[in-house]
Amino acid sequence: MTYQPAAIDDDLNILPKLPAWVTSGRAETLETVAFRSGTALTVLDQLVTDPRHGVPVKLLANQMALKAATATSKLEGRLAREADIRDAYHLTPPGEARGPDGDLLAFWRNAARLKLTGRDWHDSVQGLVGTAFADDVSRLMAVGADCAKSHGPLAGCIAVMRAVLEVDDRVERIASLLSDIVLAQALGWKVVLPVTAQHLTKTMLRDLIGDGQGVDLVVQQRILQSIEGTIRLARDLATRAAALRAVTPKLRAKGSKAAADLFLSEDAIGPSMMLSPTIQGTTIAMTDRAARRFCDRLVELGVACELTGRPTFRLYGVVP
Amino acid sequence: MTPTAKQKHTRPREAGREGVFDRELADLPQELRWREWMGRIEAVLFASAKPVRRDDLARVVGQEASVEMLIEDIQAELEGRPYDLSEVAGGWMFRTKTQFAEAIKAAADFGDQSMAFTEMEMGVLCAIAFHQPIDRAGLKEIFGKEVSRDLLARLRFKDLIASGPRAPRPGAPHTFVTTATFLTMFDLQTLRDLPKLDLAVGNADEEIQPTQN
Repeated sequence: MTYQPAAIDDDLNILPKLPAWVTSGRAETLETVAFRSGTALTVLDQLVTDPRHGVPVKLLANQMALKAATATSKLEGRLAREADIRDAYHLTPPGEARGPDGDLLAFWRNAARLKLTGRDWHDSVQGLVGTAFADDVSRLMAVGADCAKSHGPLAGCIAVMRAVLEVDDRVERIASLLSDIVLAQALGWKVVLPVTAQHLTKTMLRDLIGDGQGVDLVVQQRILQSIEGTIRLARDLATRAAALRAVTPKLRAKGSKAAADLFLSEDAIGPSMMLSPTIQGTTIAMTDRAARRFCDRLVELGVACELTGRPTFRLYGVVP
Repeated sequence: MTPTAKQKHTRPREAGREGVFDRELADLPQELRWREWMGRIEAVLFASAKPVRRDDLARVVGQEASVEMLIEDIQAELEGRPYDLSEVAGGWMFRTKTQFAEAIKAAADFGDQSMAFTEMEMGVLCAIAFHQPIDRAGLKEIFGKEVSRDLLARLRFKDLIASGPRAPRPGAPHTFVTTATFLTMFDLQTLRDLPKLDLAVGNADEEIQPTQN
C-alpha cells in the first residue's frame, strides 16, 4: 500500500502552522503579545475547529488536562510529577478514592469535557468549582468576558484570574479553569482547552493580586507560550493520529477499530483496565492477553509507545 | 431541538417535583419565608453527623435563596452559644467549641467512637496525609519497620483513610489516601492546610496561611 503515506504527506502540508515571525524572538510589550497571540489563536482555532485537519481534539484536551494538572500541582505546593499524577488517576480501581493527585487530574479532565453550549453549562462549571465558589462563578465569568470583549482574550483571562484570586488566593485551579473558559468563549469554542495553567508560577499569581509591576505582561507571555506549545502539540497529534489511522486497516484483531479509536481520545491506556474485559465505551469484548498483544503490536508498528518504562502496569499512548 | 423547546419540556417536570416538597414557600410573606428557610437549614445540619454539602442544603430552600446568606444569618444567631456552624471539607456542620472539649469528655461515654490515637497511629496517619498515595512498603521505608495491617485497619475503621490507586509494584498493593472525614476531624479545608514540611527546597517562602477563608 504505497498510496497511504502519500496521503499523509498531503495532510501535513495543509496543516496550519505558526509563521516564523511569531516564534522568533520574544514578545516584549503588551502590544506585541496581543498581536502575536492573535495570530497564534487563529492557527490554534483552525486546528481545533476544522475537522479536515484531523487533529484528535479529545486526545489533545486530555493531554492538555494532564499538563494542567502537573502545573496546578506545582502551584498548589504538592509538587507531584506528571507520571505520579497519571498513575494515581489510571491505577485507581473503580469506586475507590483517587487521592489528591488523581482528583486533580480528574478535575482537569472534567474541565476538558465541559460543553459550553446549551443553557446549563453554568451549572456544570459550578459543579466543578465546588461549593465555595458556586455562587460567584457567574459574576467572575462576567468580569472576564467583559474584559475580553474590551481588551482582548488574554486580558480577559488575566482579569478573571485576578478576580478569582482576590476572593481566595489558594484556588489556582479554579482561577486557571475560569481563565480557560473565558478564552474558549472568546474564541467561540464549544470545548475548553486547559492552556492557562501550564507555564504559570506561584510568584506570578501572587503578583497578580499584589502590586507586581508588569505582571500582566509576564502572565500574558506565559499564556502565549502555552498556546504556541499547544499548536505544536496539536500538529504533532495530527501526524501521529494520521499514522495510527493508516495502520488501523492492517490490524486484524477483533475490536481493533474500536481500540484504535480509544487511542485517538485517551492519552494513556492501560490494556488490562481500559481494553479488557470490554473496550471502554463499547461492548466489544477483548481478553487481557488480546489487549496486551494489541498494544504491543501498535508499538511494533511505531504508532504508539509505552509511557511508564515499567515491566508491569504498563500504560500506552500515541505520544511519548 | 431549540432551546425554547427544551424549556417547555423541562418546566412541567420540575413543577411536579416541587409539588411534593414546597421549596419556594411562595404563600408566606418575605420575612417568615426567610425564617422558615433558616430553620430548615439548621434542622438539616442538626440532624446530620457529617458535613452537609451546599447542593444538598440548596435543595430545601427556594431557587433564588442564597445558602451562604442564610448560613450567615444562622451563624449570627449562634453568637454566644457553646457550638457554632462551621465550614469543613466542602460542607457545613455544627460543632461544639473547643473550650468545652474537657466538659464533653468528662460527661460522655464515647465507647467505640473514641478518637484517641496511639503515637504510632498518629505517626502513620501523618505519613499517609503527607505522602499519599502510599502503600505499606512506602510506609515501611518511612518508619523503618513494617506497619501492621491491624493499625491500618483501625484507621480505616475510623474512616480516616481509604484505599487509593494501586501501587505499580508486584502484587498490586493498594495505596492509602486520606478521606473527607480526616479533613473534618483535623479541621482542615483542604490538604493544603496541613502544616508545611521543610522538605521541599526552594518552596519555603510559600508559607501556608493559617486563616480560613
